[in-house]
Amino acid sequence: MTKAALLSLLLFSCAPVAVQAQTSSQQTPARGATTAAAAAKTPTPGEFPPYKRPHTPDGKPDFNGIWQSFVTADIDIQDHDAQAGPHPDIMGAYGAWPGGQGIVEGGEIPYKPEALAKKKANAEKRMVVNITSDDRRHDTGDPELKCYRPGLPRANYLPFPFQIIQGKDNIMMVYEFEHTLRTIFMKENDKEAPKDPPADSWMGWSHGHFEGDTLVIDTTGFVPYTWFDRAGDFHSDALHVVERYTLVSPYHIMYEATIEDPNVYTRPWKVSFPLYRRMEKNAQLVDFDCVEFVEKMLYGPYYKNPGK
Amino acid sequence: MGNRFGVSSKTLMIAAAVLLLPTFVPAQTKTSVTAKAETKAASAKSTEKKTWALPRTPDGQPDLQGYWTSLSFTPMERPAKYGNREFLTDEEAAEIHKEGIQHSYEFTFNDLAETPVYDATVYALSAWQEGVAPNKRTSLVVDPPDGKIPPLTPEAAKVKDAARRHGPNQDYADPNAPVKADVAEDLNLGERCLSFGGPPILPGAYNSNFFIVQGAGYVMVEYEWNNETRIIPLDGHPALSQGIHRWHGDSRGHWEGNTLVVETSNFRPGATFQGANPKTLKITEYFTRTDQNTIEYKFTIDDPSTWTKPWSAIVPLSHMDGPIFEYACSENNNDAVNILAGARATERTAAEKAKNISQK
Repeated sequence: MTKAALLSLLLFSCAPVAVQAQTSSQQTPARGATTAAAAAKTPTPGEFPPYKRPHTPDGKPDFNGIWQSFVTADIDIQDHDAQAGPHPDIMGAYGAWPGGQGIVEGGEIPYKPEALAKKKANAEKRMVVNITSDDRRHDTGDPELKCYRPGLPRANYLPFPFQIIQGKDNIMMVYEFEHTLRTIFMKENDKEAPKDPPADSWMGWSHGHFEGDTLVIDTTGFVPYTWFDRAGDFHSDALHVVERYTLVSPYHIMYEATIEDPNVYTRPWKVSFPLYRRMEKNAQLVDFDCVEFVEKMLYGPYYKNPGK
Repeated sequence: MGNRFGVSSKTLMIAAAVLLLPTFVPAQTKTSVTAKAETKAASAKSTEKKTWALPRTPDGQPDLQGYWTSLSFTPMERPAKYGNREFLTDEEAAEIHKEGIQHSYEFTFNDLAETPVYDATVYALSAWQEGVAPNKRTSLVVDPPDGKIPPLTPEAAKVKDAARRHGPNQDYADPNAPVKADVAEDLNLGERCLSFGGPPILPGAYNSNFFIVQGAGYVMVEYEWNNETRIIPLDGHPALSQGIHRWHGDSRGHWEGNTLVVETSNFRPGATFQGANPKTLKITEYFTRTDQNTIEYKFTIDDPSTWTKPWSAIVPLSHMDGPIFEYACSENNNDAVNILAGARATERTAAEKAKNISQK
């Protein structure tokens, strides 16, 4: 055996050990590198890598935070093109409405034929405002235009943030838009929160529970006046909304709502979109009490000098 | 304003003129209402005797959650007859409580409108329905020790006097004062469904109810009036700059022992407590749960440009039965329509009269 051959044999026999030693010493950084590689992968919309959800001290998924959606469903919950807003002569791009894809599963709202006609009439009269001191004031005009509480699920896709304050027995949802408020009763057999709505309201009567880590909220007891969007999509007082909130990342809630109203639709239908956590270091709700911005529009006809 | 009851104080005043009720109703319920008040007082006493442990939230904070009312029969400032006396005797306190319950009860039945939007005898509106605990204090103001709000500064007095003389539509003390209602801005903030005030938490005539919920790092205080809501961060959240103003100010809280201390500034001009200066007003509130059914709520008003010195009051918050319902105010604001339309009708009548006179 030549010196060279011996050397190579030695090298060969040593090689696996050396490699192993090298691997073992690099194991931690190598694993780190793999994680970094995964994180560096461009996120795929709609896909959320598994993560460990935070829980409150009493073991419930923790939804506390300020949240906001980034869909254009407030304009139209179905697919829609960009369009000029009211008075483009003075409002220009300030008043124009963006286009966007809808949030309705399957694309279509299963309206009964007569209900579809009403939706179209609503859209045509979305800016016809006639305020009386009785319920006729609700006959025409988009409730958003009049700064009314937005109802469900519209409150969750208005272009305004809302904050979840999660108590043990009650979860509060406080919306920046017109300081709209929802109480979600979480306690079973709560004597202060009867199962059936004692009265109709704009935001409905909500009971919640957890299914695994998903917050499920069942809401009924709605007034028939709220709309889903500026396109006139509507419901009756038989509206029943079941919402599902699931934390899917440190920064996202996947939101789903099933909408049922036998007076208006032929079957239940569903909307879904993500909610984003507001991450500004100083994030907080401020006031958008639009009441003061709509008084002239609502009550102008009763002013001493109308139109001035 | 289309509130839970669909009326405003103004409407109630009008309604007060319309007395109509079968006399047997008050007679029948008089006994039971007094009995109810006495039972409440007695049960409050028996609760005191038991050992009570401060309830805590799952994350260990003192638990202030639940439904509370600030209704009270105690005057803001100490009546002269009590001199320097800070506390009533048990008997005096019980008597005042009984009278208060009876008075609020009679008010409910005497002030029914002919076509009520709601039935005041059924919906909890008045103190006799909401549950008010007896208060031994002779005044809500506890500091200065004379129980009186300190004098206004000369500048603030001037502003207030001018507002009294020129401020339209605000002077309920004079029922004959003309109501100026040319535009919505002439109405007061409550009639416009913009704000019913606060902080501080005070006893109003009715609807003085609150709901407190605590989440991680935050306390939420909902006022029944207009569902106005304060979100109070406890996590050292940076204060807002002076560039942002809020209807109820901007609050920051922290715990001092078992007391929640809340400091509030950034008030909106025109929407401050008793017309204080939004630039200099600072309100500090102290919430301490003292038993199962009581939060001792103290507030300190510090505004050197309005009052000659800071002053403080204690308003007991008593537990009440929930829930608090949605208070959709602007959605059904009939007051705004009726006050404006009423003013136009008055103008038309006056114009016609003037025309008739000139034709004669």
